[in-house]
Amino acid sequence: MLSRLVLVSGSALKGSGPLGAGLVHASRSLHTSSQSLAPVPPLPEKGGKVRHGLFPEELFQLLYPKTGVTGPYMLGTGLLVYLLSKEIYVINHETIAAISIGSVIVYAVKKFGPSVAAFADKLNDDKVAKAQEVKDLAMTNLVQAIEDEKKEQWRTEGRSMLFDAKRNNVAMLLETNYRERLHTVTNEVKRRLDYQIALQNLHRQMEQEHMIRWVEKSVVGSITPQQEKESIAKCITDLKALAKATQAKAAV
Amino acid sequence: MAGRRVALKAIDWVAFAERVPPNQRGMFNALKTRTDGIAAKLNSLPETPAVIDWSYYKTAVAKAGMVDEFEKKFKALQIPMPADTQTSAINTQEAEANKSATAYMEASKARIAQYEKELEKFKNMIPFDQMTIEDLNDTFPETKLDKVKHPYWPHKPIADL
Repeated sequence: MLSRLVLVSGSALKGSGPLGAGLVHASRSLHTSSQSLAPVPPLPEKGGKVRHGLFPEELFQLLYPKTGVTGPYMLGTGLLVYLLSKEIYVINHETIAAISIGSVIVYAVKKFGPSVAAFADKLNDDKVAKAQEVKDLAMTNLVQAIEDEKKEQWRTEGRSMLFDAKRNNVAMLLETNYRERLHTVTNEVKRRLDYQIALQNLHRQMEQEHMIRWVEKSVVGSITPQQEKESIAKCITDLKALAKATQAKAAV
Repeated sequence: MAGRRVALKAIDWVAFAERVPPNQRGMFNALKTRTDGIAAKLNSLPETPAVIDWSYYKTAVAKAGMVDEFEKKFKALQIPMPADTQTSAINTQEAEANKSATAYMEASKARIAQYEKELEKFKNMIPFDQMTIEDLNDTFPETKLDKVKHPYWPHKPIADL
């Protein structure tokens, strides 16, 4: 790791000035000191590229111009042969152990590596998603709250209508009362006059009736018994004549 | 007779109803029914009273000066408009309401400013996957772990995990 970081930050630090001494650590250390206020760059998605799980790609790229594609392999083979032949690295029991353990580890990582990585990523993603949800909810709530406040302000602007309605009510009540007074006066005057007329009519009616009764009484009283007999006899002869006339008519 | 008073102001009940908040709807409905009742009563009374036919009465009534006297007094009569006691009370109510409404608007504007500030903070926040723990503690101060009160990991009561 250190080798790759040397290779990477060697090219990156050519551009940046003041922090020449912090070459050993990762580029993140640029931001833990208080001098730098630049925003933190996002974490890289994947680790640095490696070949065969061990050797950084930058080594191959470094050697490519001079030695082509097979250069690093030749370097590796040569180094290995040198170590073995000069017995700088001695083959003993530990070598077998190392080979066995190494192969098991490599097999395990190759088989289970991706699923473990996915699981860990999912844990992290869940945390981030929860935080994001909280943030989204907070933002929608705030927007809604702003909307509601604006609506309430709009509502208060209509308050004058209430008082207009109240004043209208008062005016209508007064007007009603006034009209009622007018009508009462007129009706009372009419009633008085009508009463006078009714009184007069009643008077006249009573006088008429009284007079009629008086005239009738005096007429009836003035009929003498003699006149009464004569009128009855005349009635009877009239009736007989009438009867004869109707009998004659009935016979025909 | 004296003429009628100032004309009534036209009220748009539909717009008024829109502005009523839901918790005051009962009061609004009561007001509307009352107003409608009063308006109906007003409209049921004709504006001018019935005309009295003085010539008919002059011929009909026997008493000589009675109708003339009635007529004279009737024509001279002025009916006063009823006194208006409530409008000043309503006006003071309106002034008070205006005052409290302006106070409410001020408070509401302050609240809106606060909400908008928080909204800005949320909008300008760096995305979560680019934050460090220090950034998180800066943006949401409630996530800061109190290392003085709880010096050992996890720096918060176990029940809060």
